[in-house]
Amino acid sequence: MKQPWHLTKSRTLASAYFLLLVLFIPFGNLAAQDGSSSFDEIEAEATAARDVEDIPRAIELYTEALQLNPKWQDGWWSLGLAQYGSGAYASATDAFSHLLALNPTAAPAVALRGLCEFEMGDFPTSLADIQKGIASGAAGDARQEQILRYHRAMLLTRLGRFPEALQAYSPFAEHNLSSPELLVGIGLAGLRIPLLPKDARADQQALLTAVGDATFKFMQGDQTAAKQAFSDLFQNFPAAQNTHFLYGNLLLAFGPDAAVPQFKKELEIAPDNMSVLSMLAWSLLMQHQPDEALPYAKRLAKAEPERAASQLILGRSLLDTGSAASGIEYLQRALKLDPRNLEVHIALAKAYSKSGRNDDARRERTLCLQMTQNGATGLAHP
Amino acid sequence: MVLPDLRILSQLTATLSILLAASVVFAEQKPAHNVAAVCARCHSSQALTQPLTSMGRALQPPGVDPVLSSHPRLTFQKFAYTYVVETLNGQSTYSVTDGTQTITLPIRWTFGNSARTWVFERDGVYYESLVSYYPSLGGLGITIGDFGITPRTLDEAVGRRLPPSEPVACFGCHSTGAVIDGQLLSFDSLEPGVTCEHCHTGAISHMVSAVQGADTETAPPDLRKLTSEDVSDFCGQCHRTWETVIRGPWRGELNVRFQPYRLANSKCFSGTDPRISCIACHDPHKNLDTDAAAYDAKCLACHTLQGAVPAANRKATAKACPVQETNCVSCHMPEVKLANGQATFRDHLIRIAKPGMPYPD
Repeated sequence: MKQPWHLTKSRTLASAYFLLLVLFIPFGNLAAQDGSSSFDEIEAEATAARDVEDIPRAIELYTEALQLNPKWQDGWWSLGLAQYGSGAYASATDAFSHLLALNPTAAPAVALRGLCEFEMGDFPTSLADIQKGIASGAAGDARQEQILRYHRAMLLTRLGRFPEALQAYSPFAEHNLSSPELLVGIGLAGLRIPLLPKDARADQQALLTAVGDATFKFMQGDQTAAKQAFSDLFQNFPAAQNTHFLYGNLLLAFGPDAAVPQFKKELEIAPDNMSVLSMLAWSLLMQHQPDEALPYAKRLAKAEPERAASQLILGRSLLDTGSAASGIEYLQRALKLDPRNLEVHIALAKAYSKSGRNDDARRERTLCLQMTQNGATGLAHP
Repeated sequence: MVLPDLRILSQLTATLSILLAASVVFAEQKPAHNVAAVCARCHSSQALTQPLTSMGRALQPPGVDPVLSSHPRLTFQKFAYTYVVETLNGQSTYSVTDGTQTITLPIRWTFGNSARTWVFERDGVYYESLVSYYPSLGGLGITIGDFGITPRTLDEAVGRRLPPSEPVACFGCHSTGAVIDGQLLSFDSLEPGVTCEHCHTGAISHMVSAVQGADTETAPPDLRKLTSEDVSDFCGQCHRTWETVIRGPWRGELNVRFQPYRLANSKCFSGTDPRISCIACHDPHKNLDTDAAAYDAKCLACHTLQGAVPAANRKATAKACPVQETNCVSCHMPEVKLANGQATFRDHLIRIAKPGMPYPD
C-alpha cells in the first residue's frame, strides 16, 4: 500500500505549502505595476525573504508592496500562500479573495481559500470553494488532487452528506492510497458520524478503522477480502450501529439481493432507524418482493406521514402487490409533498400503466424524460 | 404374453432419463448444466430450440470461437493504438500496442452471438475490450457504448475498467448460474448463455419433482400470465426496463438497444393489453424473425385494415394505416444505425416516423 500524503496535520500543511509554492503556476504580472524603484525593491526583498523561508518578513513585505500596487496578482497569491503556510488562515482567505476579485478564474486561489476556510471551520463555504477549485482544474497535479479530494471527502462527511463522502473517498481506494487517518475518515462517513477524523473520540478509533478498512477493500473491488473484513467487523463490534447498513448500501451496487440481508440485520440492531427501514422496503421492491416490503412500508408511512419517500414506498408496495388504486392514492400524496421527485413520477407512470390509464401513464413518462434530460450523458455501457 | 402399456413405458423411460440427467447435474454441482436437455423431455418445442437462439448463445464458452478461427488475424487502428486479435494454435489473444509497448491478453470470455465483445480480468479487475468484432465489417470496431472514450494510456486503450458490480451484471445476463448471493461471480457454476433456469427460476426443483409426480405444485411461475407492463419489467432485467433507463445516463440513439424502454414510450403501449408486450411479438425460445412482414399480424391485432368492417368479436379498433398494409415495422419501427455504423437496431418506439426527424428519446 502506498504511503499517503497526510499523515499528520503539520505534515499536510507543510506538504501543501511546499507543493503550492513549487507547483502552482503564478498568475503573472497581469496587472500594471507602477514600475517605481521602491515597489521593485520591496518585491525583490519579499521574494528573497520567501526563498529563505523567512515567512513573517515575507508577509510584511508583500503587504507593503500590495499597498503600493493593490492590483498585483502575484503579490496577493504569494501573500496568501505565506499566510496559509504560517497558519494565518483568515488573512490568507482575505488575500485569495483579493486575487479572485482581480482574476475570478484563478482556480488554485479558490481551492486554497477553501483549504483556509476548512481550517477556520467554515465548512459549507470551504466545500463550495474546494469543489469549485476541483471543477476549475485546480487539481491538475496528482498530489494537489489528493489534498483537495481528501478535504472534500472530509467536508462531505462533516456536513452529513455521507453517500457523497463515500463516493469521494472511492478514488483513494482505486489508487491504493491509504493511511490510518483516511481509514478513520471513511469509517466516519460509513457510520454516518458527522465529524472530522481529528475529532473522532479515542474509544471510537478501533471501530472506525475497522469500518474504514472493510470499506476500503470493498472500494478496491476485492469482494472476497471485503466480505471477510466486514464479517470480522460484525463479529468484533456486534452492537455497532450502521455497520450492516453501510455494507448493505455498498452491496446495493450489485443489486438488492445482496443488500437486503444486511438491512435486515441492521434493523435487528436499530429497529427504529427509519433510514434502514426505507432502504429495506425499497430494496425488497427492487427485488420484486412487494409482499415482504409492504409491512415495512406501512410502518414507515405511518411513522413519517409528511415524508414523500415514505409515502412513495408504501404507494409502490401497494401497487406491486396488486392494489393499484390504493397505491396511486399514496403516490399522489407523495407527489404533493415532493412534486419534483423523479421516483414518484416513475412509480405513477407504472401505476397508471398497470391501471390501463394510458394517457396518464404517458404524461408521467414524458415528465420523467423531461426531468432527466439534462442530467443524462451520451455514454452508454451494456 | 401381455405387452406393457406403451404410454407407461414411455413415461418410465422419460422418468429414468430425467433421474439420470438430474443425478449428473447434482453430481457436478452445476445446477444449470444440461438442464435444457432434461427440460426438453417435456417441453421439447421450447428447450430444443432455445439454446440455438442469440440469447442461448449470449456468452461463448471458453475455447476457440469459430468466428475468430475463420478470421485468424484481425487488426484495427484508432487513436495512437493498434489492436490485433489473433488466433493461433487454438488460442485467441487480444493485443494493444502503442508502437513501443504491447499488452497481450488471452481471450476467454466472448460476449454476444453476433457482434463480439471480450471481457478480461487483470489483477482482479475486469475490463471490457475497447474494440469488438462486428460481422457487418468482418472486422473490428469500437465497442458500442465506448464511442466517447479516448484512452490516454496503453492501459486505458485495452478497455473500459468495469466497476465491481458490472461484471456481475454482464455475466448475470449473458450466462446462467454465474452469480452467487447476488454479488459474487462463480465460474464453477456458470453455464454460458441464457438457459431455462435463467428465466424460469425453480426449473431445476420442478424438474426433480416432476419425476415424483408433483410437477404442477412446483412449476415455475407462468410468465405468459404477466401483464404487458410486467413482461417488460421481466425482460427488462437484461434488456433494461423503462425505469432503469430513465434513472440511467442513456440518452440519444444508444438507448435504441433497450427495447422495453422504447416500447413503453410508444403511444400505443398499454400496460394491460397483452397484444403489445414483448412476448406478443417474440417467442424467446426461437430465433428472432428478421422478416418485417412476419410482424404485420401483430400490428393488425390492434389496427384495422383500411375499409374493413371490424368483426363484432374483434378487438382491432386502432385506426388503419393510410399508406400500406404490410411491412408495418419498416416504417413505424425504423432501423437505427449506431454511431460506429456497424450495429443496427430496430427501434421499438412505435410511431409515425418521418424522414429527417431527430431521434426521439
